[in-house]
Amino acid sequence: MQTGTKISVAAHGLLMSWVFFGAWFPSEPLPSQVQEVSLISAAEFARLSQEVAAPDLSPEPATLAVPDTASLPEVATPPSDELDVATPDPVTPVAPDPVVDERPDPLPDVQPEALTEITPPAPVEVPDLPTPIRPAERPDAGPQVDRVAPVPVAPPPPDVAPAEVAQPEIAPEEGSETPQEIQEATAPEAASDRIVTEENQSDSPVASAAPTQSVRPIARPRRPTPAPEPEPTVAEAPADPAPETAPEPEPQPDAPADRADAVGDALAEALAGGADVEAPEPSGPPLTSGERDALRVAVSGCWNVGSLSSEALRTTVIVGVSLSQDGKPDQGSIRMLSSTGGSAAAAQQAFQTARRAIIRCGARGFDLPPEKYAQWRDIEMTFNPERMRNR
Amino acid sequence: MGISGAKRAICLFAVLGLAACSNATGWSDDGFGSGSAAGAGAGAGTGAGALAPNSPAYFQQTIGDRVLFAVDQHDLGPEARTILAAQAGWLNANPEYTLTIEGHADEQGTREYNLGLGARRANAAQEFLVSNGVAASRIKTVSFGKERPLEICSAEACYAKNRRAVTVIAGGFTS
Amino acid sequence: MKQFLAAVLVGAAALLPAPVALAQDGPLRIEITDGVIEPLPFAVPDFVAETGAAADLSMQIARVVAADLSGTGLFREIPASAHISRVTSFDAPVQYADWKAINAQALVTGGVSVNGNRLTVRFNGYDVFGENTLGEGLQFSGNTDGWRRMAHKVSDAIYSRVTGESGYFDSRVVFVSESGPKNERRKRLAVMDYDGANVQYLTNSSAIVLAPRFSPNGDQVLYTSYESGFPQVHVLDITRLQRRILSPNDGIMSFAPRFAPDGRTVVFSQSQGGNTDIYRMDITSGQLVRLTSAPSIETAPSYSPDGSQIVFESDRSGSQQLYVMPANGGEARRISFGNGRYGTPVWSPRGDLVAFTKQNKGRFHIGVMRTDGSEERLLTSSFLDEGPTWSPNGRVIMFTRETQGANGRATLYSVDISGRNLRPVRTPDGASDPAWSPLQN
Repeated sequence: MQTGTKISVAAHGLLMSWVFFGAWFPSEPLPSQVQEVSLISAAEFARLSQEVAAPDLSPEPATLAVPDTASLPEVATPPSDELDVATPDPVTPVAPDPVVDERPDPLPDVQPEALTEITPPAPVEVPDLPTPIRPAERPDAGPQVDRVAPVPVAPPPPDVAPAEVAQPEIAPEEGSETPQEIQEATAPEAASDRIVTEENQSDSPVASAAPTQSVRPIARPRRPTPAPEPEPTVAEAPADPAPETAPEPEPQPDAPADRADAVGDALAEALAGGADVEAPEPSGPPLTSGERDALRVAVSGCWNVGSLSSEALRTTVIVGVSLSQDGKPDQGSIRMLSSTGGSAAAAQQAFQTARRAIIRCGARGFDLPPEKYAQWRDIEMTFNPERMRNR
Repeated sequence: MGISGAKRAICLFAVLGLAACSNATGWSDDGFGSGSAAGAGAGAGTGAGALAPNSPAYFQQTIGDRVLFAVDQHDLGPEARTILAAQAGWLNANPEYTLTIEGHADEQGTREYNLGLGARRANAAQEFLVSNGVAASRIKTVSFGKERPLEICSAEACYAKNRRAVTVIAGGFTS
Repeated sequence: MKQFLAAVLVGAAALLPAPVALAQDGPLRIEITDGVIEPLPFAVPDFVAETGAAADLSMQIARVVAADLSGTGLFREIPASAHISRVTSFDAPVQYADWKAINAQALVTGGVSVNGNRLTVRFNGYDVFGENTLGEGLQFSGNTDGWRRMAHKVSDAIYSRVTGESGYFDSRVVFVSESGPKNERRKRLAVMDYDGANVQYLTNSSAIVLAPRFSPNGDQVLYTSYESGFPQVHVLDITRLQRRILSPNDGIMSFAPRFAPDGRTVVFSQSQGGNTDIYRMDITSGQLVRLTSAPSIETAPSYSPDGSQIVFESDRSGSQQLYVMPANGGEARRISFGNGRYGTPVWSPRGDLVAFTKQNKGRFHIGVMRTDGSEERLLTSSFLDEGPTWSPNGRVIMFTRETQGANGRATLYSVDISGRNLRPVRTPDGASDPAWSPLQN
């Protein structure tokens, strides 16, 4: 049998069993991360199907859907909590009470002449605004931080430089023979998993049966026929104003501990020879899902969509990049392969943001298995901001 | 209004002391609804004995120049009707005066809406006076919305006094 | 359930080719859906003074640019103390490595020269990690008095190149300056730069003035004044400070004016016999057309940017709600359906949203919704927030916040339409009823 056919048969089998076993659970197709089916290992399936099984703990979506901000506790915030206006110079009041019909000092006669034409920005189209998302499961709003990230991060200790991943300080060892690189202690920057506004800052956890956090199963349950996660093909966002159920933070590897975990899983898997996909060519086996996840998490950490226009936030771009053997991106190879959803200008903004993410987080080389270089030399990364619009 | 504006201007720009512009001066009532001895809709004046019965001061302090309203309402209650009936009697007895009815709102509302609400209140008072024999041609109405509160606390005790229609006597003889 | 199964099957069918494709040779494919939202770190070293007289301005202009960008909440300045490179020549190549080392993702450099009264500002923006310029360098020149405007123009250019949307820094705000206690509040019209600089008063405080609104080209302001004893709509030419009354009908109250996008038509409310309705007036002929005729309060009209529709508030249902009607009047469609009362709707310059004031359970909120009323989002919450106005690019809302109690005071605030970056706008006195101008030319 052809490899493709085998996989196809296997995938169909998995699908059917999922329909039979998994579909009984009242799980809304959550607008969660798109998970490719292709290279998911059996272990991964088990983990994912565990998630499918979980929602019987979830509250009725209907109770979440009420956008009744009124019932939220109200907290008056003294203005002193807020930022001062960023005006560098104190305003000097102009002479008091000019008589109305008298002409005061004329307005400054400024007619800046541009030598080069300012290119008018692309016309802004009607952006899709995110539905108010009020996740029911909100253990702790935490301190107000101006960073929103997939996983909330507590503020780092004061004397630690922000970095994408936490790393311990390495001091030069005394008497050490081999010179050791001095490494500053770093920690991920503090982040909230949502935009905290004045209006929702006092949101307390809504009474709900939802677990306060999704816990990874300690032991992977053996299931005869693991089922794949229902694929939320980038849901045609319904125009329904009712807030959707909050996307459950996916138990994707939290950097760095979980990443190591994922890599460990992958290694264990590889050692056990449990890979259910035959290597198409001798250049090393395909990356495990753990390895792919680790790469995805690494790029995600630098993908800052905070300054994107609302139109660019509706634009998905596919970016091609080639890596050198040490895992570092070749800057010249980074190119936009295609874009969907926005104008050319918006795609350009989205591409530049994606490009910065690849360059910045790849600066020290992505953590990829060298023996599989041929598998990851060329990468196509799809940057889909769909979920980021809802934060 | 013209006179009151001038007085007020003098007060603000010549005297420069806010205290001098306080309610105690007595004439700040004529366009801006500031306090008076009459209090909220009560007709029982103090020291009214000294006032000539045909003077605007008598009208203001003894008859009672204002009526109050419920939150976001412009209906006249029994107390308001009693006061307005007395106002109509005085106005019919003193036909040389013209009058302006000012409608006001408390601060619990947006600016534009409160202008509309004040207009309703002034109109409700006007209609009552007209139906009690006061010539419509003598009456003007104006709304100040929430721009001129009488009481300045942010509590119902103050709001209740700010939701008002004030009948301001103008023209004719001054006292 | 059937639908659900069908959806699953369709979804699965769409996925099936994927395993086959990936089993074949080709690039590794991954999809990134989770990113971060954080201010973009940038650096603005002092601009280079290219003539002796430019020393002060070269620093001040850089500070204004930095304040503009930081003030959006989308950017975070890396302070000069952290800089490794010093920029001593505008034309010298940028040391990208030095800026990368401090994680400056955008860099703005400039050169300033002053000759007599003539100020020239050149600038460049850089995408540090891309080792590219952000668009072409630009140069502005003008009178030295206008240095802040030139700084704002630099900021607008950088902002639009990074975010892809136009900026809003070279704009002004007309507002009501307030002083005195609540029951004797003195109000006068004033205009300032969007950031609170260059305040100029347009009227004295002898009469109550309310709710000024800019004309589409920014040279005229509509407002309501009690100068005659009754609220009447005035129009003021802000460069010559000449004004006239638009609604000369003595004894009829008119208020809540706003320009149509054509700049020749205005809408406002008139109250007669206790009933408030919306009228349209041709500003040159004075011809008046009544647009609503309900026994309820219809007010706060605001045009859609294409001039075809008007959003307004009405209590025809028994409580204040938002409605949209054709610009010529006619049947209105209610768009607000949440709990509480809705007022002061303002159509966004992009045309996609309506900002409004909402009152619910004793608190006030500024919020936005789509023009069909869907996707309502509240951005603020306080004792009294009201009167939103849009930045020229539709990204920021400025509004009035009044504190409670006998010493209550009105202040202007701005907030990003995401609800982030709430901040006060500094004004010399109390301030209310802001209205944002279009971007200046």
